[in-house]
Amino acid sequence: MPKVLTFLLIMLALVVSSCKSHEKGNASAEIPDSVLNEGVEISEEVMQDIVQNISSPVEMAAMIKDLGVPFSNKYISSTDRVGNLTTSFQQSLNLGIYAADLGYLNMYNKTSAVVDYLTAIKSLSDAIKVGQFFDFTTLKRLATNSKNLDSLMYISVHSFNQMDKYLHSNNRTNLSALMVTGVWIEGLYLGTQVYKVTPNEALAERIGEQKLTLEQLMLILDKYQRDKQYTRLLEELKLLKDLFASVNIYVKKGEPQMVEVDGMLTIVGGDVSVVEVTPELLTNIITTTEQVRNRLISL
Amino acid sequence: MFIGSALIQAQDISQLTAQCAGNAGEVMYLKDFPVKLDQGTPGGAPPTARFALLLNKSIVYRFSICTAPNSEGEAVLQLFDLSTLLGSTFINATGKTYPSFDFKCQKTGVYHVFISFKEGKAGEGVGVMSYVKKL
Repeated sequence: MPKVLTFLLIMLALVVSSCKSHEKGNASAEIPDSVLNEGVEISEEVMQDIVQNISSPVEMAAMIKDLGVPFSNKYISSTDRVGNLTTSFQQSLNLGIYAADLGYLNMYNKTSAVVDYLTAIKSLSDAIKVGQFFDFTTLKRLATNSKNLDSLMYISVHSFNQMDKYLHSNNRTNLSALMVTGVWIEGLYLGTQVYKVTPNEALAERIGEQKLTLEQLMLILDKYQRDKQYTRLLEELKLLKDLFASVNIYVKKGEPQMVEVDGMLTIVGGDVSVVEVTPELLTNIITTTEQVRNRLISL
Repeated sequence: MFIGSALIQAQDISQLTAQCAGNAGEVMYLKDFPVKLDQGTPGGAPPTARFALLLNKSIVYRFSICTAPNSEGEAVLQLFDLSTLLGSTFINATGKTYPSFDFKCQKTGVYHVFISFKEGKAGEGVGVMSYVKKL
């Protein structure tokens, strides 16, 4: 009998110890995506309203190139960190960051550096099981020839869009939101860093307008704040939101115009948005964006 | 069999998207809106797919529409700002159809793309949004 009792006590101790170590392990573990998306009461229609084209991996870069600003590799994130990104949270967020960097590199035809970013994106997309939408072999082949820029650009952006759609349709909207957040913060970082060196009214206005996008992003991310990593992300974004609150955006009403020239139809939007952002506020946004972005890539 | 058929359809729409983006001209692809709709009911509004977009001020966007070869109806893309119709690839008043139109955006905000098929027919197609230039 004492032997049986001793055995039971040892077993009980082992079970308790196992439970404790399990709890400890889970303290820093991720909540599975399926669980995190459970009970998130956003209809697909509303979600689409919020997320579609909230932030494109190439639009900020295209605008900066159109402004005649030269390329700088100081504005992009190093791919050396990829091996350290182990959670789906980190992988998704950084997938967005690298997608924005890839858009910037493609825009300036920096094909020699593109392969590193393609490799990083391939690794991260495989990790979150959306690698099937990323045709690495074709993209790598296209990247070796600068004449293929259009195809490279199309396939890169299209792959990103496909991953996003797939995550949506597979109840992994949280990862899609993280990807979009990554694209957005890297785009804002790029815009603000360029502004520091090449101040420009159009860019200042574009930076100020990010108030609208940030509000949409936080609305989505807020649904996942059960997970500590999302809470931390929201805390970082709130620093920016508090600053953007002082950006004044209003609309001057007008009538749209339609003209046809040589068979091509062009519509000029009637309403005009006006963005008011003071130089001091812009400086604060630039500084805070840099700090937030640098903390986010090390989350 | 069903999986095989779905895969072929996905490939078809993917090819159509690439073709549509390529035909948009010297522009940069941003987004696509694949659509497959059933026939509408007689007398009812034509079935329509709706997509919300955030467009940026001082950018010229191009909206293109392509109808799948096997589609019964011809696809029409319309751009709305709330309830205001800004542009369409089909102008009712003239009966003219355009493969695309450019939109000079002057207000950053959420817009909506509507895609339907003429006369409420069933159909399959894709809309493509591209970046043309900064104003």
